[in-house]
Amino acid sequence: MENPGVTSPPVNGLLALGILLALVAAATAAGLVWRATTGRARTTRSGQVVHAEEVGADAFGDRATLLQFSTEFCAPCRSTARVLGAAADEVDGVRHVDVDLTHRPDLASRFGVLQTPTTLVLDAAGAVRARIGGAARPDDVRTTLDRILGSHDVAA
Amino acid sequence: MSQPDLQPEPTANPAGSGAPRGIDPRSPRFGAGITALLLLVDLFLALVGAATGAFALLLVIALLFAWGAFAGVRRHPYGVLYRRLVRPRLSPPTELEDPAPPTFAQAVGLIVTALGLLLALVGVPFAVPVAAGLAFVAAFLNSVFGYCIGCQLYLLLVRARLIRRGAAA
Repeated sequence: MENPGVTSPPVNGLLALGILLALVAAATAAGLVWRATTGRARTTRSGQVVHAEEVGADAFGDRATLLQFSTEFCAPCRSTARVLGAAADEVDGVRHVDVDLTHRPDLASRFGVLQTPTTLVLDAAGAVRARIGGAARPDDVRTTLDRILGSHDVAA
Repeated sequence: MSQPDLQPEPTANPAGSGAPRGIDPRSPRFGAGITALLLLVDLFLALVGAATGAFALLLVIALLFAWGAFAGVRRHPYGVLYRRLVRPRLSPPTELEDPAPPTFAQAVGLIVTALGLLLALVGVPFAVPVAAGLAFVAAFLNSVFGYCIGCQLYLLLVRARLIRRGAAA
């Protein structure tokens, strides 16, 4: 601290302000991109099939399952649980299952979960049909469920 | 499956009346805004070469993070400031939030800023501005966009098997 020049060579005030502005602009851009993309349902064709017992659930929904991965240090996991719980209550044969990954890191690795909440939308057979990273949006959940349930009815 | 809904506390200030069931989610975002501003000032000081001032301010910020991480966000000065000055001017919160996620975020802030201070002490160049810049981005995204750092960082620790709670399933 005796020699400030050693730890950080000074720049002039105007340049320093410019750097701060650039940092705020970059953070704002990152935030806008994050807000626009988080919670969107993405269709997946991984063909991965999940069984209720693997995730510690007694049963999955007869027609579809909203499989949510959470941790306790995740504020949006609570609101997502309410959104998915409400969707499951409204649509017949749909179940919401919430798994705390703190106890199941193996599931985080298996499904490549990088953030919580992450929701997998499973069809009647347990196949992963869509994936929602971040706080689930009620409209997206309903659209995805309609698509999966509709296509299943047609196929069946 | 559908967890019990958190009922908003009555508008009366619950401070001191036992443990309320949750906190107003706007409170940690208000605190993160103050933190982000302080970190921006700190970064400015570091950039213009006021190294001692930048170090001292980062130390203050780190101590404030430690307060939140160890005493909990409810007892943090920004939490008190929010309840006394800001909350009475706003409508009651539509839902209450668990204080655990913002407390975890305070611990992350403490680790980043403390690491910056330690590296600066042993003479690593740019340790203070880099730590201040990183902490600023996290605090800014949290405050302005409601981004939750624990949602990603805590999960990475779980996946790296650094956090174990036993396979209770």
